[in-house]
Amino acid sequence: MTVGGGVMIWIVDALVVVGLIVMTLGVAGIYRMPDAYTKLHAQSKAVALGVVCLLVAAMLRGEWPASLRGLLVVAFILVTAPVGAHVVARAAWRGGEPMAGERVVDESAPER
Amino acid sequence: MHGLVLDLAVLWIAGLLGATVALVARRSSPAERILSLDTLVLVLVGLLGVFAAETRETYYLDTALVLGLVAFAATLAAARYYDESHPS
Repeated sequence: MTVGGGVMIWIVDALVVVGLIVMTLGVAGIYRMPDAYTKLHAQSKAVALGVVCLLVAAMLRGEWPASLRGLLVVAFILVTAPVGAHVVARAAWRGGEPMAGERVVDESAPER
Repeated sequence: MHGLVLDLAVLWIAGLLGATVALVARRSSPAERILSLDTLVLVLVGLLGVFAAETRETYYLDTALVLGLVAFAATLAAARYYDESHPS
């Protein structure tokens, strides 16, 4: 049995469409942004939130008690996306990858 | 109508997957490549979510969970390797 009835399926459609739009914007952001640090913004925020929308849609559509495991996936992605982004940004900075832009200031630079 | 939306969603996200593969294959810095690989797996998890919504099977969500776990470990390992591959 699923929750709701006629309304739920519209909510699922809306969530899928919103998730796809957000994810597309995120991937487009990775194409457009100039350096690794700004690309991480698009990746860790936009793409992760788009995936969360799609997973919530799958959760609402599935058989009720079993679909609660979607909550697990959502929580896992919400926890690991910032950690992964931080680790990649730290590796990029210590690897000396340049920041794009004319007037960027690397405030951590003297400690290197 | 609803089935059509989900079918188009599968097609669209498959295209997104192709775009991300092109992103990984593109010549860029190591950090950007690690980031693109992470994005690739996230898009794949989204595809599994759409499959789960379309077929109403919850087994796809198990696959998504495992895939996310492996992707997180892979990102950590790759970033760590890149971090320590150059003298600081």
